Parts: sequence; C-alpha cells; structure tokens
Amino acid sequence: MKTKAINMVDLKRQKVLIFWAAAITIYGIIFNYLPLAGWLMAFQNYKPVTGLLHSQFVGLAKFKLLFSDVSFLRVIRNTLAMGVINLAVTFFMAILFAILLNEMASKGGKKVVQTISYLPHFLSWIIVTGILHDALSGTGIINTLLLHFGAVTQPINFFAHEKYFWPIVAFANVWKETGWNAIIYLAAITSIDPSLYEAAAIDGAGRWAKIKHVTLPGIKPTIMILLLMNVGNVLNAGFEIQYLLGNGLVQNVSQTIDIYVLKWGISQGDYSIGTAAGIFKSVVAIVLIVICNHLAKKHGEERLF
Amino acid sequence: MDQTSSSFVGFAGLASKNKEATKMKAKRRKKISGADLAFRICNGIFMVLFVIITLYPVLNTLAVSLNDGTDALRGGIYLFPRVFTWKNYETVLSKDNLITGAFITVARTVIGTLLALVMNAILAFIVSRKNFIFAKPVSLFWVITMYVNGGLIPTFLLFKSLGLTNSFAVYVIPGMVSAFNMLVIRTYMRGIPDSLEESAQLDGAGYTTIFLKIISPLCKPVYATVALFVAVGQWNSWFDAMLYNRMASQYTTLQYELMKLLSSVSNQSSSAEAMKNAGEGSVTPTSVRAAATIITMLPIICIYPFLQRYFVTGLTLGGVKE
Amino acid sequence: MKKKMVSALLLTSMLASMFSGCGKAQASGGAVNEDGIKEFTAFFAVPGSEINDDNEIQQIIAEKTGCKVKETWLTGQTAEEAVGTLIAGGEYPDFIEGGNGSKQLYEAGALVALDDYIDKYPNIKEYFTEQEWDQLRQSDGHIYWIPQFSNIYGQERACTHNDEAFWIQARVLEWAGYPKVETMDEYFDLIEAYNEANPTMADGTTTNIPYTILCDDWRYFCLENAPEFLDGYPNDGSCIVDPDTLKVIDYNTTDTAVKYFKKLNEEYKKGIVDPESFTQTYDEYIAKISSGRVLGMIDQWWDFAYTGEDAIKSAGLDEQGCQYVPLPITIEKGMKNQWHNSGGVLNVSSGLAITTSCKDVEGALQFVNDLLDQDIHDLRFWGVEGEDYLVGDDGLYYRTPEMRKQAADTAYKAAHTCSYSYFPQYSGTSRDGKNAMKSDGQEQEFFDGLSEPIKKCFEAYGAKTYVEMLGTSEKPGPWYPMYTYSNTLTTDTPGGTAWTKMGEIKHQYLPKVVMADDFEKGWDEYMKAYNECKPEDFISEMQTELERRMEEAAKYE
Repeated sequence: MKTKAINMVDLKRQKVLIFWAAAITIYGIIFNYLPLAGWLMAFQNYKPVTGLLHSQFVGLAKFKLLFSDVSFLRVIRNTLAMGVINLAVTFFMAILFAILLNEMASKGGKKVVQTISYLPHFLSWIIVTGILHDALSGTGIINTLLLHFGAVTQPINFFAHEKYFWPIVAFANVWKETGWNAIIYLAAITSIDPSLYEAAAIDGAGRWAKIKHVTLPGIKPTIMILLLMNVGNVLNAGFEIQYLLGNGLVQNVSQTIDIYVLKWGISQGDYSIGTAAGIFKSVVAIVLIVICNHLAKKHGEERLF
Repeated sequence: MDQTSSSFVGFAGLASKNKEATKMKAKRRKKISGADLAFRICNGIFMVLFVIITLYPVLNTLAVSLNDGTDALRGGIYLFPRVFTWKNYETVLSKDNLITGAFITVARTVIGTLLALVMNAILAFIVSRKNFIFAKPVSLFWVITMYVNGGLIPTFLLFKSLGLTNSFAVYVIPGMVSAFNMLVIRTYMRGIPDSLEESAQLDGAGYTTIFLKIISPLCKPVYATVALFVAVGQWNSWFDAMLYNRMASQYTTLQYELMKLLSSVSNQSSSAEAMKNAGEGSVTPTSVRAAATIITMLPIICIYPFLQRYFVTGLTLGGVKE
Repeated sequence: MKKKMVSALLLTSMLASMFSGCGKAQASGGAVNEDGIKEFTAFFAVPGSEINDDNEIQQIIAEKTGCKVKETWLTGQTAEEAVGTLIAGGEYPDFIEGGNGSKQLYEAGALVALDDYIDKYPNIKEYFTEQEWDQLRQSDGHIYWIPQFSNIYGQERACTHNDEAFWIQARVLEWAGYPKVETMDEYFDLIEAYNEANPTMADGTTTNIPYTILCDDWRYFCLENAPEFLDGYPNDGSCIVDPDTLKVIDYNTTDTAVKYFKKLNEEYKKGIVDPESFTQTYDEYIAKISSGRVLGMIDQWWDFAYTGEDAIKSAGLDEQGCQYVPLPITIEKGMKNQWHNSGGVLNVSSGLAITTSCKDVEGALQFVNDLLDQDIHDLRFWGVEGEDYLVGDDGLYYRTPEMRKQAADTAYKAAHTCSYSYFPQYSGTSRDGKNAMKSDGQEQEFFDGLSEPIKKCFEAYGAKTYVEMLGTSEKPGPWYPMYTYSNTLTTDTPGGTAWTKMGEIKHQYLPKVVMADDFEKGWDEYMKAYNECKPEDFISEMQTELERRMEEAAKYE
C-alpha cells in the first residue's frame, strides 16, 4: 500500500525526469535505432540501385555463406583472441598507471608525466606501426639489445612468426592508449573522500594498504562499468593495426572480422556480407554484456542497466 | 560512496586487530618510510621509463616533420631531423581552405562539446536517480546503442532525409548522446551520497535545482573528462565532413582538409598516374602526415592543462560528505 | 507534444525516402557564375590532388573555354563505398569517374549515354577509333564513359619503361663491364659476383642488400607474376594467353614458375635474397632502395621511381651508380621478351562519365572537347609558356632546372598547375609534330635529367632510353590485356571467388616456398592449398572472356 502511494508521489515529482527521458529517447530512436532498418540488407542481395525495398530477398544465405567458410571461423578466433588479450592488458596497464601516477609525490612531475602519457593517443596507427616496425626490424633497437645481451645469436624476424603477432598488437595498444585510458581513472580517484586516506593513515596503513583499501575500492565502480562496456567490444579488436602490421606469413593469425569483411564484402561491392557480420558482432556483444551484467548484479557490483 | 566506506570499515577493523603491535609502532613507521622511499624510487624509475617510451614516438614524429621529405625516405631519423626544413609545415599551412576548416573545426568542437556534455549529463542524472521508475529501461535502451550499428548507407539516407547533409548541424546533432559518456557520468553521480539529494528535497528543491545546484558542481572532474573525450573526437573527425558535406566546402573541417592533402601526396595508390602526380616533390606522405599530426596535436596540448587541474590535483568532495 | 509531432514528421519523411531506394536525382551543376563562367562539379573515385579554388591555370582555361570544374577526390574510403553512398543518395556531381564502382553507376542508371553526342564534338570523336568506341559499349549497347589514359597521339614517346622488369643498379653492370644479361641465372650470378667483390657501398661500411622482394599487400606482384614475363609473355596480368592456340594458361603452375621460385629459394639460402623481404612494408622497402644498398629487384618503374629514385638523387648516390636500369630477362636464352609493349592500353572498365544530375550535358561535353585542343592540352601538361617552360629556336619546349623543381612543388602545383588529370588526355606527339604531348615524353628533357652512370650504361648497351634497354614488342593481340577483365571480377561468380582465394593462398604460401628448407616439400604444400581454391573456375571464366573479345575483334577484320 505504502509503496504504491510513494509511486504516485514519485510519478508526480518525476514529471520533469520523465519529460527529459522521453525527449532523449525519441532522439535515440531516430538517430540510433532507425538506421537499424539497414539490417535488412543482411537478408538481401542488397544493391544501392534497388534500395532496401526492392533488393532481392535471400533469407539467411549471407549468414550461411559466412559460417560455412573456414576462414571466417578463423578470423572470429583471431578477433576474439586479440580482443581478449588487448582488453586484459590495456585495462590492467591503465589502472596500474593511474594508481602509480596518483602516488607520485611531486605535483609538477605528475602533471608532466600525465601530459606526456596521453600524447601517443593522437598519433595515427600508421605512424605508430611505422615506428614499431622500425624498432622490431633486424637492425632495430630491440634486436640490437637482444644481440648485445646475448639473448639471441641471430636477429629475430618478429613479423615472420605467428607467435609474436598477438603480443605485438597488445603491446602497441598499451603503448598508444595507456595514458589516455588512465584519464577516466584519474578522474574517478578525485572522487575519493580524502578523509578516508587520513583515517587510514591514523590507523597506520602503509601505502599498499591505502591503495588496496581506499583507492581501489574508490574506483571500483568505474572499473566495473568500463569492464562491462568493453566486454561487449571484444569482437571489435580492430582493423587498421592488424592491417598495417600483418603480412602474408602471419595472415592466419592477423586477419580480423573487419579485414575479412573488407576483403569479401565492401571491396567487392557486397554490402550484405558486411551487414551480416555486423549483426553477428552485435548479437555476440549483447549476449556477452547481458551475461556479465547478470553476474555483476549477482555479486552486488556496479552494472550497466 | 557506500562501497568505498564499507571496504574501508573492513580495513579499519583489520587495523584495530593489529593494535597490540603498538609498541613496535615507532620502529614500524621508520620501516614504512624506508619501504616508502624504495617505492618512490621504483615508481620514479617506472615513470621515467614510461615517459621515455611514450614520448619517443611523438619526438620522432616531430623530427620527421622537420626533416626533408625525400631524405626521410631513407629512414634512420630518430630524435633529430637530419636535413632540417620547414617545408612540410609550409605545405600543410598553404593548403587551400585551411582557415575555413579551422574555423568550422573550432566551432564544432565548442558547440558539439557543450551540447554533448549537457545532454549526457541530463541523461546520466535521470538514470542515476535511484527511485526513477524508468531508470533501468532507459539505461538498457542506451547501452544497446553501443553495440548496434545500421551501417553507412542507412545512416546517410537518414541524415539526408532529416536535411542534415550539406549543413553544419550534421557535426553536432547526430552524436550528441553517447552511451559511453553517459555511463561514465552516471557512475560518478552514483558515487555522490543520496543524503545530499534527500536533504535538498526536504528543503523543497525540485530535480532541476538538484541537478544544477547540487550534483553538477560535484561532477566537475567527470564533466571535464567527458568534455575532453567529446572535444578530442570532434577535433579529430573528418569522415562526416567527407561523407555529408563533400560538396559544401563552406563546412569543411581542418582534419578533412588535412586528409585530402595527405591523400593527394599519398603513394598508396595502385595507379601509375596517381604515383606520378604524387611523386617528384620534396614532401612525402610520411613527412606531411608528421607535420599535420603535430599541427593537430598542438592546440590539444595547449588546452589540456586547463582541464587537467580537474583530475590531477584531487578535487575534494570532503566538505559535502555525510 | 510539439516536439513529438516534429519527430513524427521527420520520422515518416525519412522512412519514406529510405525505402524508396535511389531517390530523385537533383540537378547540381552547369550553372553560370558572376563572371559568365559555367561551373561544373566532378568526383573521381580515386585518390588525387585537390587544387586551390583560385588556381591560376584553371582560371586561364576557364577564360578560354568558359568552363571550370570543381574536382573532388576519394578520401579514406574505397571507390565502391563512395559510389554506393552516392547512388543511395541519388545525387551526383556533373562529372564522375567511378573507378571500381563504375559498373554500379551504370547499373543504377546514373550515367548519361554518350553515343548520340560524340559525333558533334570533333576532338572527342577523334579520341578513339570506331572499334575502340564499340569496345566501350555496355550490355545495353550504349557508351557511358571515356577512358582517360594511355591514348597515344601520333608517334609514341616513351622514355621510361613504366612497367615491370628485373632492375639492376648501374654500378653492378659497370663493374662487370656491361655484360649481356639474358637469363635469371645470369642475373643472379652477376649479383652474387658483384656482392662478393664489393660487399659494401662506396663508403666502405654500409653493406649491400643483393636482392630484395617487395611483398606488402597488393604490391606482392613483385614476387608473384614474374613467371609470365620469364616465359616471354606480356603483362596480361592475371594469366598467360597462348597467341597460337588462344588458350588461357595459369602462370602460377608452369614449369617456369617452379624454376623461378626454386631459384629464389636457392638464393634465399645463400643469403642473397633479403631475409626481411616478406615482412617489410612499402616504406621500409623504399627506405632500402633510397639508401642505395639494394643491387637488384623486380618492380614496376612507377612504384619506386617517384620515391626511391628521387631519394637516391637527392642524396647524391646517383653519381655512385645506385640508380636502376631494366634488363631483358627470360627463363632460357634466346627467347623473345615482352616486358615492354608499345601502344596504349585501352582500359574499358572505367572512365570519365557524365551523370544524370548534369543539367547541361552539351556544355559538359564541349568542355571535354575543348580540353583536348592542343593549346589547352599544353596548358594542362606543360603549363604557361615563359613561366613553366620555354620554347627553343627549334620550336622544342624545354624547362630550366628551376622550372623542373618548381613543377614538383606540392604547394606550387596546388596554386598554379591544373592538369584536369582525370579528364581525357593524350600522350605521344603533339599536333605540331615535334613536341611531346606531356613533358615526360620529351626526349631531350628526359636525357638532360639523367645521371652520368646511367648515360654511360645506356651508351654501352646502345640504348638512349629505358625502353631501348628492353626492346619493344607490339601489342600481342586484340584480347590484350586480360587484366582489365580480371579486375572487374567479384565473388558473385565462382571464378571471382577462386581469384580472391588464389590471391590469399599466394600471399601466404609463396613466401613460405621461398624460405622453405626443403623446396619440393614447400612447393607441394603450396600446390595442394592452391588447387583447393579451384583455379580452373577462374581460368574458364577468363577463357570465355578471351573468346568474347576475339569474336568482337573479328567483326572489324
């Protein structure tokens, strides 16, 4: 009885909230959901000439084509593997960096380091991969160091072996994005009540204890939300970096779904294949986040919805 | 903040258990500061290494941008230019329409960032209200948008029929609400104690007042973060200019002009004609790209310190805590 | 409430247009501006250089012809994507070059049939022979686009060999006393001998790279298609055509292919082939070429000349003989080589077209016609007399070194030069019978630009140009070149699917074959994977096209 009464009161008070929610939802329907009519393409032999209404309807043929191709299954594996590795590594590094930066004593040093750390974010992949190629070449810095310290007797041709490819991609991602990704955590750290640190200090907590019991719990909601969001993105492991770093010798492990779609779809004027692959990615993403969101809810953690 | 507090309570309990060790306290403190010193040194070394590794590509780009393009083809440029020249910058800065592009880019960055910030903040505020009856469905509605995409052509048709093509609005209207930014703000807002809202309500404040007067002032760090994300996105984007305003050169953007310049000197072409047109100059795609990158980065580097104070110095919420 | 109404309206209108496929075409150009100049728009679905709005030569041409075209180029998209979006939107520029998307434009009905107009414009009419115009007809019997390139007026003026060859540095030939090099074995023997005697460059410290192979993405032709040339066939691209039996042959599996890759494998084991060949990027390859360290490689001239050769010159390495000359190499001695073919190649798969959005088709075509006038053509490809070139007493055009340098400057090009580079144009000899249509065909100009070691090398072989180093062959037959067809294949057909798969497999296995410890085993694995792609599907589609082309040609005999 009581709850109902409150709900009525709430509803009245929440009028302004409901109005804005409705307005923004209408915006979302127009800009985010209406274009999904384009998903029809996946079930058609879509040609721009005939448009969505008059293109030949082919049912699930495009999906069958995709999933009957062994190389598509292989690119799913590659995408998933790189997506998971990148997620784990970049996540860990960004949090570690944010915390360590926060622990720096010198205010000026902190600012300088942070400013520098996010700069690589503004370099395009083509620049970063160019520099990486240089560093890993036969005469590059890495091989020179390895030879110097006697770790190897012959320079390693890093781009000729499948086993190095995923780690190189992960490293490149860390290199380029750690500082940038850390910004969110740095902002979250600011929301931690300083009195908590003071209380911890009075209780004799050391640096590690403070990090473990104050800083980490303080940014945990942010970590959880970003983790949940990114879990949905594991199939978006990228296109450019693999395209720029890959070559014939490692193409078995380097090709991602996006590269496959470009090769077999877009560059052949076939929009339907790309749309079908996109729908597949969306479905996987939504299933993943629903599962993870459920798990988060079960453990009483911050969740997406 | 309840999670933080509860974990901390746990810690406090743990600490009190150790209180019998008080006689060791003096010694321990000394020991801690020893460990502290070690930590500081290690942390310092880590940061120096990190700075070297992340600064290198930027310095390398700077060196390449100041080096003769043809000479740079030979490789081997690391931190300093070998054959110094301003030619690459001259080439970039002499691009036609660059001023128009810069003006539009600044405009879209300012307007786009403001609009996006306001909309995302409002939405985040709405869905972070604990007793708002539609909080969950609205969140879900937006979360889904992160993972679905109708594709290039349907989006193009939509914008065209809304009259957004050949207009400035196409830069600021379509991407206004982003689930990612909304969720980042929402997470932050949820960390703000409910008691603040409750006491304001008792004073008769409506949601508008709560949003403007109570919540938003506390959200400066996260607003700054989101503003930075949106601004950088706006600043760097060119694909929309190419797609929707190709024929409307009055709405060109800085990045689109730079992209056009880059592809005009590009050697990534399979046609002999295009190679011939691109070649025979002292600038190369690599050198022009480097110069364009540095030019693009500069304003961001300049503006960053103003935003930075919101998330490095540890803006305190202490005064408003329960 | 009002908001909802507006949204609802927007929604309906948007849905309506979205589902109707291609919308109503809107007229876009041919409008006359305040100076009395007609302004057209053009989009080329290829990367290119945009010129400034106040470009000087564009202004001169506008005054002479009364027309001006605002050109835009492909940026950051594939041609198919860009064209697909245009078709979906139903709005086009006046002129368009669809690149790989040309077929789509035709199918969308976006182009104006030109056949009824051609006779009214003498320069356009003259541009192709009747047979060539007929080759351009689409399935509905109409002509929609005009290919812009490789059209030779008068006598051919080719100084450089633009296509593929085995290249070698002039210093290697000089050291060996300019020997006759005819086979692949001789070529590698020479490189090995030179490298043994001179393991470094003139500075004594930089080691040579005897032979490198560019293998980056689509540029892997430097590795894969040599067998067709080594067998003495011309560049049909994707296959060999036997001129006697008129059968399409797969050059990937010939005995010559086995010999070629076996040789590369041996040289790889000897350390002659650069171990980084298969992982290097184009930029790294160009860096190696530019440093003067690479003694030899296979490549097409344009792929390294405007980057690598320029850098060699600017570093002064040209005087050390680090520039490249082509060698007429075949698999056995005494075979006819067809590395260089004379005559233009009519690429019927794309060209300049006029869209249905153009309000003034006749004005547009008049402009195309005017661009082929000799004085306008000179403005496009030589520039302004006195500023960009001078005329000698003999009536020959020439440029001072400063003019040459200025002509290469990116900013100068944008502000001054306007070649309307994707409009129809000629190479060959000017209508005055003396000058070349384009500055790069002017022999004296060309010769003046050569370095001493190259001149010496040419003299030793009795050649004056790169082309004469190889000798010239006539166009082998009316089918030539087959690549204009294979380029248009898509995965809609079994042949196109096989073609794409073959490319994938070759990308992956050819490097492995060259690097294999056991060549025979490596080759067998490659062949097994290759045959799974069903290359026969591809070959049979090529055969069908070959026969179609022969039938078409027979009509004119």
